[in-house]
Amino acid sequence: MILSIESVSKEFDAQAGKIKVLDEISIQIKAGEFVCLVGPSGCGKTTLLNIIAGLERSTGGQLHQNGKEITEPGSDRVVIFQEAALFPWLNVIQNVEFGLINRMEAKKRRKIARALLHLVHLGRFEKAYIHQLSGGMKSRVAIARALALNPSILLMDEPFAALDAQTRDILHEEIQAIWAQSKQTIIFVTHNVREAVRLGNRVFVFTARPGKIKKEFRIDLPRPRDINSEGVVMYAKLIQQELREEIEKFLKEEVDREWSLKKTDLLRPAGTDLGSGI
Amino acid sequence: MSIQRIFIGYSISLIFGITLGLLIGRFKILDETVGSLITGLQVLPSICWLPLAILWFGLNEQAIQFVIIMGAFLSIAIATDSGIRNISPIYLRAAKTMGVRGMDLYVRVIFPAALPSIATGMKLGWSFAWRSLMAGELLFVSVGLGQLLQTGRELNDMAQVVAVMFLIAAVGLVFDRLIFAQFEKRLRRQWGTAN
Repeated sequence: MILSIESVSKEFDAQAGKIKVLDEISIQIKAGEFVCLVGPSGCGKTTLLNIIAGLERSTGGQLHQNGKEITEPGSDRVVIFQEAALFPWLNVIQNVEFGLINRMEAKKRRKIARALLHLVHLGRFEKAYIHQLSGGMKSRVAIARALALNPSILLMDEPFAALDAQTRDILHEEIQAIWAQSKQTIIFVTHNVREAVRLGNRVFVFTARPGKIKKEFRIDLPRPRDINSEGVVMYAKLIQQELREEIEKFLKEEVDREWSLKKTDLLRPAGTDLGSGI
Repeated sequence: MSIQRIFIGYSISLIFGITLGLLIGRFKILDETVGSLITGLQVLPSICWLPLAILWFGLNEQAIQFVIIMGAFLSIAIATDSGIRNISPIYLRAAKTMGVRGMDLYVRVIFPAALPSIATGMKLGWSFAWRSLMAGELLFVSVGLGQLLQTGRELNDMAQVVAVMFLIAAVGLVFDRLIFAQFEKRLRRQWGTAN
């Protein structure tokens, strides 16, 4: 087990008392797995990722990486954030080299950074400033920057959420290719069900707050997967059904007690799906 | 003479100001204790330090340097502090997950991330320093532009007074354009904050 999460809980202090965000989460992850966490917003999936990264502390339970307890952030667990979080005072290649600076001499790290920039197809932009890049290019730089450290676990926190659909599609393909090539262990947080199915080997569905694992899906589809392929759509539908209940719970809590999602089958003519719910 | 004074005084202010600002921005205890004191002292016109400086150091170079430093370094410290406070936490988190910590975090993340704000403070500090120096030179006799202005008044020489005033403004402006404007422009181009 490269990462073992044992009944990890997290509580936050708020004015109205303690809020429980994570409730006894247990996940075992093997090396080379691509694990996706999906759930309604506020279910604590990002919090769990931060705890794995060491940026936050859990209030209960234990986390072990290769048998060693996780207590602080480390370069063996690099996070890729939604905002890319590139440093605007450095240019593209300096950003990619950032994590390597105290580890090796300048020539060697430049070579690694160049190779990675080529891997993410940004070879021509190594001298560009960050603000000159598009959203998709920023994500690519962030991926290259994280890969440069050769972390044993790569943590991704909705890295493509802010991108347009076409760019996201291409980045999905690339991250699949990178994963297939490097066999990096990846933990990927998203609220996009199809994204999770397309990328992950295992998809964990979280409940609404407090976050628990509602169900685990193993996705055994051949790769590379297409976002519109039948298998992906089928799994996505199954997961969506699980999620729907949770989203309803979340909305009830967040918006209005009276809230309920409309039954989708009302929208369809009753004659077309006779017996589908049996 | 004036130029030499301001270089020495300003350099010392920069070192003190940035160091103090970095410390206040990082350590809460320092902020709670020294923070309000600094804001209070900044309201005090720097020339008010002159009597104290003369009592401490006597009528000499150190007294004038002291006035320059008191005029400039506080505003640099305040700008540095606010720059650090306004760093987007995402930069710190990103750096931490890449294994950067301790002193490295300061040098490679906190300082460069706060630099735009520090640059503004440096610019402000420069004009404060220049003003304090002129006030100091006016009030007690020593070779310099301020003294030249004072001599003009004593000789009833309007031309000299106006000329020196222009010169003082011009020197301030030239430094601003040559050094600070260039520096800010470079930062803006890097960060992409303005055209």
